[in-house]
Amino acid sequence: MNWFVFILIAWVCFGLELALLPVFDAGSGGVHPSMVVPLLVFVAINAPRKPTLWCAILLGIMMDLLKPIPAVDGGTYTVIGPHALGYLLGVHFIMAVRGMLIRRNPLTMVVMSILVMLIAQIVVIAIFTARGIGDSSLVWEAGTKLQQGLFSSLYTGISALLLSFLFFAMGPFFGFASTVPTRFARHI
Amino acid sequence: MHQQSLIVRWSMPITIGVLFILSFLPARLLKWTDWFSAQVQVAIVPITHPLTIVVDKIVPTSISDPAANERERALLNELERVKVELLQTREENNRLTSLVDQYARGAALKPDFQVKQATRPRVGNLTGDILQIRTGNIDGLVQGTVVVYEATQLVGRVSRVNRKTALVLPITAPGAQRIMGTVLLTADGSEQSRCLLSPMGNGLLRGEVARPSLEESLSIEVGQEVRLLDSQWPTSAQMLMIGKIVRVESDPEQPLRPLIQVRPTFEDLRRLPEVTFRIPDTDDQGDRP
Repeated sequence: MNWFVFILIAWVCFGLELALLPVFDAGSGGVHPSMVVPLLVFVAINAPRKPTLWCAILLGIMMDLLKPIPAVDGGTYTVIGPHALGYLLGVHFIMAVRGMLIRRNPLTMVVMSILVMLIAQIVVIAIFTARGIGDSSLVWEAGTKLQQGLFSSLYTGISALLLSFLFFAMGPFFGFASTVPTRFARHI
Repeated sequence: MHQQSLIVRWSMPITIGVLFILSFLPARLLKWTDWFSAQVQVAIVPITHPLTIVVDKIVPTSISDPAANERERALLNELERVKVELLQTREENNRLTSLVDQYARGAALKPDFQVKQATRPRVGNLTGDILQIRTGNIDGLVQGTVVVYEATQLVGRVSRVNRKTALVLPITAPGAQRIMGTVLLTADGSEQSRCLLSPMGNGLLRGEVARPSLEESLSIEVGQEVRLLDSQWPTSAQMLMIGKIVRVESDPEQPLRPLIQVRPTFEDLRRLPEVTFRIPDTDDQGDRP
């Protein structure tokens, strides 16, 4: 796998996610599509196991660093770990079902992105809720977050559909071993 | 060779273990992560800022009076500034009257307050509705500094300051604290009613209003202004504009306490092109919450 291309695309995806955040927020605060999860899913269904796991950790740590949590004192805290672990578990799920997937089909990207996002959100919410038992310094409402996470997961399906065509076309640049042209992708 | 393969083999379980431990570190031990967060934010700005500009051009943001031209808006801003000063003076008058009473009983009188203002552009957003503002070096900018837009629209408070950027948590963000406000029942603000507002998460604030008055001519109506009047905020921020009432609901269980929904004059605080920091003068210790 070409790590340089991956990091460059990840950088653009983070930029897109943060720049489009206020616009695509479905009017209910906190419900927005992820651009990073489709990238992770694309890597997970194409790359070898070990690089995929490291990709999940890298993207998760980046997401943790870009997602400060408001504190009750008006400040914010950055907790490293929840998203990394969430993405890691999501990627493990893909590894488990990868043999049954039609790799270069946009619908695979859509369904897997929704599921990975949902798994990651559940892990993140579980960790922060568990933290809240002994440490109430963060502003955290598990019920609201779960609702937002569920709808964000569904919303991510839309971004995954759009991004899948881009990712399929860029497949050769990622340097995956088994990139073959299909009717859903055009090599550039 | 054997040792290297051991390291490679154990690198993943060790990383997962470290991430697990970091996930449950108490908040007081997490300050060091701010530095890493700041570096990532700086690294991501070159892509988020141009994209934010493009997005703002394609999907323009709403302002309170889009029909007004630039000169009219400048005049409206000036009018709004004078109104804030009038209301602040009136509030200060009330405060001083009560302080004079306290002074007579031996309590200390607070000195007057002054702030300096610094306007800086928004370079992007972080999740949780947090604004990322490019600051450079501003003396006195600290966590808790009051942030406004166009001098009088309250935006929120600074939640974190890095070397070159500051994170601002808007009052409408889901994680923001509740704020006390006052509804101006009359245009001159002579009649007011207190309210406690919580963010709804969709750009609005919602809360109960105390019964305005026994006078029947005064009532809570759509379009009335709501201003900050909260002892948890600095004195200089009092009477800044929170927004206007967009909806009044009656609560069947509490008929004397109607529920209101308030929208800031700038429709979406997450998409402000720039913000102004109101920094207390360092010599002045009077501007404390």
